[in-house]
Amino acid sequence: MMLPYLIIIPLFGAFATPIVGLAGRKAREPWAIFITALTLGVAAELFYTVWKSGEILVYTLGAKSPLGQGVGFPIRIVWEVDLLGALFALMVTFIAFVAVLYSSEYMKHDTGLEKYYTLVLVLEVGMLGIAITGDLFNFYVFLEIMSIASYALVAFRNDTWEGIEAGIKYMFTGSLASSFILLGIVLLYGQYGTLTMAYLAKMIAENPTFTAKVALGLLAGGLLFKSGAVPVHMWLADAHPAAPSSISAMLSGLVIKIGGTYALARLAFSVFGMGVSTKTVGWIIILFACATLIVGNAMAIIQTDMKRLFAFSSVGQIGYILLGIGIGLAAYGSDVGNVALAGAIYHTVNHAIMKALLFLVAGAVIHQLGTKNLNELSGIARKMPVTSFAFLVGAAAIIGLPPLNGFASKWLIYESSALFNPFLAAIAIIGTAFCTAAYIRVLFTFFGRPSERVMNATEPGKAMLVPMLILVLAIIVMGLFPWVISEKVMIPAAKTLENAGAYVTALLGGA
Amino acid sequence: MFGYWDALYFVYVFGIGLLISYVIYKWAERTSTGTRRTGDGTKIFLSGEDQDRVIPQFEHFRGYVTGRHVMWGLIRGINRMFIAFRREHTGLLSDYVSYLLVTTAIIVGALIVWG
Repeated sequence: MMLPYLIIIPLFGAFATPIVGLAGRKAREPWAIFITALTLGVAAELFYTVWKSGEILVYTLGAKSPLGQGVGFPIRIVWEVDLLGALFALMVTFIAFVAVLYSSEYMKHDTGLEKYYTLVLVLEVGMLGIAITGDLFNFYVFLEIMSIASYALVAFRNDTWEGIEAGIKYMFTGSLASSFILLGIVLLYGQYGTLTMAYLAKMIAENPTFTAKVALGLLAGGLLFKSGAVPVHMWLADAHPAAPSSISAMLSGLVIKIGGTYALARLAFSVFGMGVSTKTVGWIIILFACATLIVGNAMAIIQTDMKRLFAFSSVGQIGYILLGIGIGLAAYGSDVGNVALAGAIYHTVNHAIMKALLFLVAGAVIHQLGTKNLNELSGIARKMPVTSFAFLVGAAAIIGLPPLNGFASKWLIYESSALFNPFLAAIAIIGTAFCTAAYIRVLFTFFGRPSERVMNATEPGKAMLVPMLILVLAIIVMGLFPWVISEKVMIPAAKTLENAGAYVTALLGGA
Repeated sequence: MFGYWDALYFVYVFGIGLLISYVIYKWAERTSTGTRRTGDGTKIFLSGEDQDRVIPQFEHFRGYVTGRHVMWGLIRGINRMFIAFRREHTGLLSDYVSYLLVTTAIIVGALIVWG
């Protein structure tokens, strides 16, 4: 089974990086690229296996069976991978590979790069762990691995106040959110005496107590913070622009989804789905989603810092994902709920690609011009046509312009929200109007008359252009076959998530 | 049932739209009195701003499209909403923590009552 290698390879790669780095720069960058490419290969194989068989893979750490000797319940740490987990593992490894490839040129003027690549690989380990784990405390450990690596990477460029301040704020508030999550896990362990998610789901379904509801509240509060939902999104607008752009691409593209929306959906459906009122949980998420949609996209319009604009746009897009998850819960078991959830999953994947591309474009602009102020970037398209083309594709996709991939996922969310409650669809459309306005500002700036500042600009090197073009290609190809992707991957992934019974049975075998 | 769309339809519509635009453009060019070729008609329309007008101390922005040029109508139109949103984005750590506490309390409360 390839599953353990999904963690072993990047973990080994991370701790070997400082040693490999002793051989010099020519060894360090290829090493990081090799490790991320290998992990991508493992994730692709894992995804194909799970997709082809339609089964849920279960792997027990340190034994063949998760059950304890002489007892009839699981005591060991398990990793449980269904189609959704495998899909997100593939998404994480793909974006991580592209970001590392881009870093080989983008970060070449920085020092301390052995720490940088170690942290990037540790960040990847944390995200992959969250996607595959079936144990609640193991989930917390991976969440912290991911979070601590993120705090350090936000403050990686410590020669300016921006990174340090953002990193400290992110660390303080992020730790508080993590402590809420830990408290929720502690309450569940105290109440039910188990940390295995599938077994916990069975216990909660049999006896949903007051403590379980308080625990869910604490978990949801902490995870909404990690997703960047309004009103707990403010750290995001500080942290994501301050990080190096390759890291911003991973933070906005992956971290807020794996450590936020995915974790929230996994717990709400697979652990609490059979025990608490999904309608209540769904409506709570929907209300936060609506606020997130409006505030995130609206705040993006008034930014003059390009990366801060993209960060607020990420907040807005998280609103769509939360809306899909919320409707999926509130309309649990119906076609509308299934399509909304499929839309949320699809938009998670699409947004990871689109936002990674946009942050890489911002990085290219900063790398070549030294500024991210939109007031100084007029006419950059004449001097950096390839980068501007990449931006054009990314912006069109994120707005939801057909025939690009963003349209397909947004369409599923609009359609299901209109059928569920037309008022929600109207809010989603208003959010998109704001999103369009924000990106048109950047677009006009890029394609305007060249200002003096951009006169001497040139395209970045191939190591930065190729990752951007890979993402452009992914956006276009995914946009051309949306129905195939939706029917073959996203709808089955949504059904897998909804089927909490199968998640329990895969581990306990009907016990 | 849900969510089916064909990317090619949009390509067809885009192609037809492009053709119609070209026909209108050619028709307008033939019937125009020439004001689009000389004088003010040749200037780019930037949200009502004259690109040749020099604003004192902003000479370096002359004729460029800058961030402040675009979407100012929308921003001015719903300025009160933006002021309210901006007021909450203080950048203060204590505010971030307060929002986290209040959000978690609301969720816990809602789940206890209706969960």
